[in-house]
Amino acid sequence: MKDLIKQGLRLGLVFGVVIIFLILFGLTTTLSDILGDFVNLDSNTRTGNSSGLMIIFAILSLWAGSRASAADRSKWKSALVSGAAASLVIGLFVAAFILLVGFLDSKEIAMRDYLAQLDHLSIQFLLFGRSLIPGVLMTFGIFFFFGILGALLAYWFEAKNAGEVIQKQVFILKEKVLDSKLVTQYKENPISKWIGYGILGIVVFLMPQFLGKYWNYAMGTVGIYVLMGLGLNIVVGLAGLLDLGYVAFFAIGAYTAGLLTAPAPIALQIGFWPVLILSVVFAAFAGIILGIPVLRMRGDYLAIVTLGFGEIIRVLIRSDMMSPYLGGPQGIRDIAGPSFFGLSINTEKAYLYLIILAILLTIVFTNSLQNSRVGRAWMAMREDETVAQAMGINTFYYKLMAFATGAAFAGLGGALFAARNQYTGPADHTLMVSINVLCLLIVGGMGSIPGVIIGAFVLKGLPEILRELELYRLLVFGALLVIMMIIRPEGIWPAPRRRMELHEKELEILPTDDSLVGKEG
Amino acid sequence: MSILETRNVTKRFGGLSAVDNVTLQIPEGSIYAIIGPNGAGKTTLYNCITGFYPADEGDMLFNGQSLLGLSPDRITKLGISRTYQNIRLFPAMTALENILVGAHPQLKSNWVDAILRTPRQRAEEKKALEKAQDLLNFVGLKGKGDLLASGLPYGEQRRLEMARALANNPKIILLDEPTAGMNPNESVTMMRFIESLRDELKITILLIEHDMKVVMGISEFIYVLDFGQLIAKGTPGEIQKNPQVIESYLGRGAA
Repeated sequence: MKDLIKQGLRLGLVFGVVIIFLILFGLTTTLSDILGDFVNLDSNTRTGNSSGLMIIFAILSLWAGSRASAADRSKWKSALVSGAAASLVIGLFVAAFILLVGFLDSKEIAMRDYLAQLDHLSIQFLLFGRSLIPGVLMTFGIFFFFGILGALLAYWFEAKNAGEVIQKQVFILKEKVLDSKLVTQYKENPISKWIGYGILGIVVFLMPQFLGKYWNYAMGTVGIYVLMGLGLNIVVGLAGLLDLGYVAFFAIGAYTAGLLTAPAPIALQIGFWPVLILSVVFAAFAGIILGIPVLRMRGDYLAIVTLGFGEIIRVLIRSDMMSPYLGGPQGIRDIAGPSFFGLSINTEKAYLYLIILAILLTIVFTNSLQNSRVGRAWMAMREDETVAQAMGINTFYYKLMAFATGAAFAGLGGALFAARNQYTGPADHTLMVSINVLCLLIVGGMGSIPGVIIGAFVLKGLPEILRELELYRLLVFGALLVIMMIIRPEGIWPAPRRRMELHEKELEILPTDDSLVGKEG
Repeated sequence: MSILETRNVTKRFGGLSAVDNVTLQIPEGSIYAIIGPNGAGKTTLYNCITGFYPADEGDMLFNGQSLLGLSPDRITKLGISRTYQNIRLFPAMTALENILVGAHPQLKSNWVDAILRTPRQRAEEKKALEKAQDLLNFVGLKGKGDLLASGLPYGEQRRLEMARALANNPKIILLDEPTAGMNPNESVTMMRFIESLRDELKITILLIEHDMKVVMGISEFIYVLDFGQLIAKGTPGEIQKNPQVIESYLGRGAA
C-alpha cells in the first residue's frame, strides 16, 4: 500500500512539473485553441474558448491516472489508490501554480516581463474565464476526477483483457483483408504494380487542380524539400558522407537563377530554362570544388567542414562586400519565371506541376544510380571505406561524384525555389535548411525514396497544417526525432535492407561473434 | 618467372621496423605461405603490397611492374585480391552485392550509362549478375545471395569474402589466415578449396596462416618472418627442421 502511494506521488510530481512547463511556454494555450476551433464549441475569443483547455487537462490527467495505476492493476482498490495519489499531486501542483499566477495577476504584477506566455488574457484563460478561487478549484477538480477515472478505466481494461481482445480483433481483420480474394489477386498479378503506380500518378497529377492557392504553395515547398532530400539521400544515405552544409548548394542554385534572370544587381536577364540548367551545373561544380579539399576527411571531420562551408556561403551572400554583386541582405528581387511554349508559368499551381516533374526526374535518376555499379560503389564506401578501396573502387572519385550529384539536385531545388518566390535572400539559406533536410531523411528512412517523400510531408507539410504550432516547431522536431530514434530507428518507410539490418537480431538464429567480425585491430 | 616479388621491402612505424628488408619471390601458379609469430609483420607486409602502407624502402614487382606509389584501387585493378584476417565484408549489403562490388574493376559502365540505362550497361549488369551467382555457387553459398552479409554464419562469411576477392578475376590472391576460427574439418575443406582455386582457376596463392597442419599440408614453399625479418625460407620439410624457426616459435632453449 505504501509503495503504491509512493509510486503514485512520484508519477504525479513528474506529470505536475511537466504540465506546468507546458503552460509556461504556452503549448497548452495553443493546443486548446486548435482543439477549441476543432470542436467549435465556443466563440473564437481566447478567454471564451476554455473547453479546449478542459479537454487537454482531462486527457493529460486520464493518461497520468492510467500510468500511475500500472503499478498494480490486479485489484480495483490498488489502482484507485495509486491513481488518486498521482492525481492529487498533479491537481495540487497545477492548481497551486494557477493560484499563484492568478493571484499575482490580480495584484496587477506584470509577469509577462519575465515569462512571455503569462499575459493577463492567458491567465484568465487558465482560470476558465472565472474568478480566482472557482477557477483554481475547477482545475483541481478536473485533474483529480479524471486522474482517478483514468486509473479505474485502466483497471477495467486490464480486467476485461480489453487490450488483448482489441489486438486480436485487429489481427483477425488484417488477416481477413490480406487473404481476401481481391488482395491476393492484386498481389499475384504482375500488372498490379503498374496499376498502383498509375493510380498514384493520377492522384499526383490531379492534386494541384483541387488544392487552393495556399495549399499549392505549401505543397510546392514540400516538393522542394523532397528534391533536396533525394539529393542528400545520395550523399548521406548511399555514400555515407555526413554533409551538414547542404544548404550551400541550394543557395548556389537559387542565386544562379536569381542573378542571371533578375534585372538587378547584374542585369543579364537570360531566359529561365538555360539558367535552370546552369544552376544545376554550377551547384554540381561547387560540389566538386568543395569536395576536392574536404573529401579526404572522414566522418565527424567532414560534417564539421561542410557545416562551415554552408555558413561561409550564407555569410558571403549577406556581406556588404559582395552586396554589389549578390544583392546583400536584401537579396534579389524580380527573379523571372519560366514560360512553356509561350505559356508563362506564374501561378502556384503551375509551379507545383513543374516541381512534381523535377521530382519524378530525380526519382528516376536516383533509382537508376542506386541500382548500378556506381550505387554499389557508394554503398560499399559507406560500409567500409578501406575495403571498398581494396575492391578497386577509386573512393575519392566516387565520393566526389556523390557530392556533385547531391549538389546538383539541391541546385535544381534552389533554382525552382527562387523562381517561384521571385525572390531569394540570405534568410532562405540558413543552417536550419540543412538540418531540416537531414531530419526528413532520418524521420522518413535513410536510403529510401518513399521515405524521403514521407519525411518531407511530415516535417514540412504537417507544420503547414498545424500552423498554430509554428512557435513550437523546433520543440516538436526534437521530440519527434527522439521518439523516432527510440521506437523506429529505421524511419517511417525505411529501405528494405535497412529494416533487415536493424531488426536482424530478431530474425537471427546463429549469433555472430562480434570479436570475430569486428574491425581489424 | 615470379608473378609477385618484393625486394628488400622495409616498413617502419616510428623506430620499429614492422617489416625489415624482406625479399620474397612467388612463382606463378604456386601456393606459398608466410608464417611467423604474432606481430611478426605478416599483415603489414600484405598492407605494403596492396598499397595501404607506403613501403619506406625497397620495391614490389607484379609481373615485373613496380607497385610503388600506386593507390590500393590501382593495385587491385592489376589483378591482386586479398582477404582479411578479421572478415571485412560490407555488412549491410547482400551476399550478391558484396560479390558485385568485388567485380567493380571488371565492369566498365559509368554514371551516364547508369542514369540512361544504356543497353551496354544492362547487358553488362546481367552478365555480372550471372557471374556473381556462379561464384556464389562455387563457394557453396547457393541460394543465399539475397541475405545480408552480416546475417551469414562465420564460415560462410569467410567463403563469401573469398568469392568477393575472386570476382576481381585476380591473378594472385593474398589470403590472411583463411582458416582462423575453423574446426579441423572445416580447415580441411578450406584447404581443398584453396587448392581448387589454383588448379581450376589458375590463381596464384599467397597465404598467411597459423595452423601448421594447413601450412604444411598445402604450401609448396614457406617464408618465415619474425620481428619483421625473414629468418628462414624453404619447403615444408626444411622449415620443420629449421632450428631458428623452432626457436622463434617455441622460445630459446627448445631448439
